[in-house]
Amino acid sequence: MNVDAQLIEHMMNPKNYGTLAGNNAEGIGKNPENGEKVAIYLRVATDEDGEYIENIAYQAIGCTTTVVAGSMITEEAKELNFNGVRNLVEATMNILDKLPAEDAACSEMVALALLAAVETYEKRVDDAEYPVITKFVSNSCVPKENAQEVK
Amino acid sequence: MKTLMIKTHEVWLEVLMASFMSNTDNKKVLSNFSDILFRHFTWLENEHIVLDESYNYDRDHIPIKVEKLSDILKDITNRLNEIDLQLMAIDNKALSSRISSDLYYITSVLMHMKDEKITAFNMERKYQGTILSQEATDALTLFLFEESYKEYELIMIYNYLKMHSSDSYMNRIFQILIEESFFHLKSFGDMQAQMGLLGVPRIVMKDLYQVEDVVQFLKDGINEELAAKEECIKLSEAVAKESPELEKFFNFINQQENYHIALMEDALKHFKKANNE
Repeated sequence: MNVDAQLIEHMMNPKNYGTLAGNNAEGIGKNPENGEKVAIYLRVATDEDGEYIENIAYQAIGCTTTVVAGSMITEEAKELNFNGVRNLVEATMNILDKLPAEDAACSEMVALALLAAVETYEKRVDDAEYPVITKFVSNSCVPKENAQEVK
Repeated sequence: MKTLMIKTHEVWLEVLMASFMSNTDNKKVLSNFSDILFRHFTWLENEHIVLDESYNYDRDHIPIKVEKLSDILKDITNRLNEIDLQLMAIDNKALSSRISSDLYYITSVLMHMKDEKITAFNMERKYQGTILSQEATDALTLFLFEESYKEYELIMIYNYLKMHSSDSYMNRIFQILIEESFFHLKSFGDMQAQMGLLGVPRIVMKDLYQVEDVVQFLKDGINEELAAKEECIKLSEAVAKESPELEKFFNFINQQENYHIALMEDALKHFKKANNE
């Protein structure tokens, strides 16, 4: 990870970290390879343009990269409507190829948790008891050169 | 009482962070006070267990970024006064008066502490005047954030396991591991503050400390300790050229991990035997 002042700020003081009182949706992103996971909590509100994220929080069982990715992505997701959230998730997924393997898996996990939270909210509109949706990452946390050595 | 435990958890960490920030005799006093507040936290936790009340280790964000020590001491004093007021609502008067008496002394000492200018947040990333290469500085930065959280996480997990176990053999091991993790957390926290990178470790997720499978937890823990050893070796090599002191320190931490692994292996063996696994 290239450590600059912005990254250090997210490490020293991750934004939106913790649980969220009065949340009305939750989503989970998981890495089946190593058991790491991210939970995202949303408080969704509605205005004349539809539903949007009024407040957001996340927690992670994972490395510092996951915490930084969570801090950045949840900051960007705040106050977005659901279309905006889907665009953010898509934009994140599209840059994963350019990231080192371990960073890609962490960012994917956060993006998927966010998408899972939105989908959980949508399902709960019809079924209040709908369980929290969990999505699994497709990127491996093992750097490519190590993965080749293992093979 | 739930709020009281959360507030005590927060102030324990805040005092610990203040001890990292200090560069004078205040450091030792604050560090000792944080130990006392951690014990209060465990007493309150025990009270929850005795009364069969549910609880967890959730807490709020703790703002610690200050320019002068007196700024954080004021906030700590306010928090301690608030806790003292809340103690009146506890039925266990022996417990509340014991904590209250400690708080009275702590606040009276804090009030007279000499002020200090704080540099723990300046992001200079220099350790005791040593200039490390960019690569070594980045590696050290990531290590400190990763491991200071890890040590806090381990304190919380071992504490929870200890609180919910009546097996004296296991509890002896958990207590040693808590003390070892405290030493590491304090060492890394002091280094973070020296480098201008101090941050409060993030909240530990419930899934981690409400351990359902102790055997798997211990096996994973042993693997994590082995990984931590590797990190220490890498870091020790990365800083060796520029700082023999840091090299020695990380070799020392690496060796300590061997003891942690031995303790966890011992706990695993005992737990399996005690539970016929």
